[in-house]
Amino acid sequence: MTQPVTQLTTQPMHPLLEIRGLRKQFGTLDVLKGVDLALNQREVVSVIGSSGSGKTTLLRCVNLLEEFQGGEIVLDGESIGYRVSDGRRHRLRDRELSRQRSMTGMVFQSFNLFPHLSAAGNVMLGLRKVRRMARDEARAIAEKWLARVGLAARADHYPSQLSGGQQQRVAIARALAMDPKLVLLDEVTSALDPELVQEVLNTVKSIADDGATLLIVTHEMRFARDVSNRVVFMEQGQIVEDGPPSEIFGNPRSQRLAEFLRNTRT
Amino acid sequence: MELFLDQVWTARWPLWDGFLLTIEIAAAAIACGTLLGCLVGIQLVFAPTLIRLPFRIYVDVMRGTPLLVLILAAFYIPSVVGLNLSATQAGIVALALFAGAHIGELLRGALQSIPPGQSEAARSIGLTFPQMLAYVLLPQALRSALPPWINTGVELIKGSSLLSMIGVGELLLKTQEVIGRTFMTIEFYVFAGVLYLVTNILLDQLGKTVERRVGGHL
Repeated sequence: MTQPVTQLTTQPMHPLLEIRGLRKQFGTLDVLKGVDLALNQREVVSVIGSSGSGKTTLLRCVNLLEEFQGGEIVLDGESIGYRVSDGRRHRLRDRELSRQRSMTGMVFQSFNLFPHLSAAGNVMLGLRKVRRMARDEARAIAEKWLARVGLAARADHYPSQLSGGQQQRVAIARALAMDPKLVLLDEVTSALDPELVQEVLNTVKSIADDGATLLIVTHEMRFARDVSNRVVFMEQGQIVEDGPPSEIFGNPRSQRLAEFLRNTRT
Repeated sequence: MELFLDQVWTARWPLWDGFLLTIEIAAAAIACGTLLGCLVGIQLVFAPTLIRLPFRIYVDVMRGTPLLVLILAAFYIPSVVGLNLSATQAGIVALALFAGAHIGELLRGALQSIPPGQSEAARSIGLTFPQMLAYVLLPQALRSALPPWINTGVELIKGSSLLSMIGVGELLLKTQEVIGRTFMTIEFYVFAGVLYLVTNILLDQLGKTVERRVGGHL
């Protein structure tokens, strides 16, 4: 791995995640048109915007579930997904991509638990196969994290035996047990029945309070306001506003954000 | 009736040998066909187009050809190119190639019916492609492919009777030999038919039991 020379001197406050000029196309459609975003350690940033604004795609690029055509994503000093040689970008090999993906945790809108594994089995899989832990050690960590999300008694239940909210909390435990540098949460309450939303939001809030670095895509405006240090408003593949929640929600500068907030106010 | 039972008793060993050979041939074919089918199914889903193409052609040719034609081809073609296969070996090759195509196709379907979120979740925790296949996708696909897989086993037991055409001494050929000696045509064909039927019903029940055991959480 060749690293840019400028990164060798670690500045005291270099951002944990730095996205520079990120561009992404689906065919002829520009989904991301030059996105710049930086996250410091322990920062909690929410991305809001209407559907189709590119916010989920942004998250998926950081987790390397999508390829991107331009720009750079740097996580903890390491350029993600591509290397440049002879002035051309090359997608990294599968093994490298897997290693980089394990640096971030991802929680999905539709939970995506593995249905053939118990709750503990879901959390243990990455610990066993990626972190190469012994079974007992992985089991202990899985139990710790399941207890952390309030599901100690459900460790041996299968996903089909759990409610949506419980499944999503297992998914959160699965992501966090890998000890990721950064956790990506993609509309984690959108698929839930209304009465189950709060238990998941409380879980997210408590891991934020513990000092995890979170990048959150959400439609829950109140939650974004409560949990975030910063809120980013995206529209049509660009970041339109970026500021503390009080400013974004209390004093929107752009016409489009004001309009968006008016339409989502409940 | 008593006369028939007497004849069955007299012919018990040849019939038993034929029955055993039928089971052995079907077991060998399902074992080889399953290995082949796993390879084929995975290639059909994940390989780039150019590598996928020969597997696609193989599957379509096998599924579009009558099993008897496959058996005759496996019996006559190897000797032309100087390969010396016994009739039984040729029969197993034909049945295994037939099963490999069917199992490959049903595994392809099972893999493709897994929601894409499963592989995304597997990748997001850092599993490599082979790990994702081994620990996330295949366990789910094999479970949902279990009922049609058992069905393929039933097809092989029935299909193995066609090997009598190339002189393999399985249950049907042995039955025909006994008929040649006793002239009790209908009685012995019904007897053989009942043996096939009972075997397949047992296999089906076994499949249902296994399915209940492993498939509960999908």
